[in-house]
Amino acid sequence: MRVRQKGFVLIAMSVAMVVMLAVMGLAFDFGRIYIAHNEAQVFTDAAAMAAASKLDGTDAGLERARQAVAKLPMRWNLGTKSFTGVVVEFSPDKRSWARVTAPDNQVEITFLRAVGGQPVLTVPAHSVAAAKPVRLVE
Amino acid sequence: MMRRARQRGHAMIELAVSAVVMVSCVAGTVQFGYTFYVYNQLVTAVGNGGRYAAMRTYRAAAQPDIEKGNAAIRNMVVYGDSRPSPDAVPQVANLKPEQVQVDWVMDESGKPAAVNVSIVDYTVDAAFGMFRFTGKPAVEYPFVGRFAPAEREP
Repeated sequence: MRVRQKGFVLIAMSVAMVVMLAVMGLAFDFGRIYIAHNEAQVFTDAAAMAAASKLDGTDAGLERARQAVAKLPMRWNLGTKSFTGVVVEFSPDKRSWARVTAPDNQVEITFLRAVGGQPVLTVPAHSVAAAKPVRLVE
Repeated sequence: MMRRARQRGHAMIELAVSAVVMVSCVAGTVQFGYTFYVYNQLVTAVGNGGRYAAMRTYRAAAQPDIEKGNAAIRNMVVYGDSRPSPDAVPQVANLKPEQVQVDWVMDESGKPAAVNVSIVDYTVDAAFGMFRFTGKPAVEYPFVGRFAPAEREP
């Protein structure tokens, strides 16, 4: 009886620990992933708007649009990291729309890695803005 | 008899040790999970308010008009509505319009060029302990609305 009982708590604890890590991973890592995605989305929304507002059909306009995007002070990863590798694209006529992509926001995974998750998850976001927006609010 | 009693003591100690680990794990999960949830809501609220501010007509006949405009932006962040009803519920728990800061960036000619919306002095009241956010989350939107230096806020 005694021999069979020995080590039961150890096994129960290790099983519970794996489950616990998975639950903590869901709360912590998914929380960070969703925040990173949301921050990136808000950034590209603002950046696309900034770029589109500078378009005038000339190459100088495209340059001003790129500078406006680079000038935005927004950050991600709970407001600590600046965006890198931001891609700004324009409509062929250089005056209709701008598309901004923030492609490589890499969230480091903390707990889910311990139960077989990948170490890093890339959370990209992109937005398109028209240069002549329909103004819905006064 | 002797052996049984000693085993029971063992179980108590094991329970005590594992309970400390388990409870702190659960507490941390709740704490961080809720804080991240609230932060995510704040990011969304600030983003929506920033976009509203960017597209809103900037009326600047006098200082009170500018203030009124900023108040509408703060309401948009907190309630999702520039003119909330008196019984409106904040979109984020316990967020108040005073905790939203609206800063305008002017260009050389005195026209608004961009608007900065951020959260100041907001405390997440999670289950255990507190987190305070000041200056974040923050957004900056370019101003693309109409600039009306001579108009008054209705």
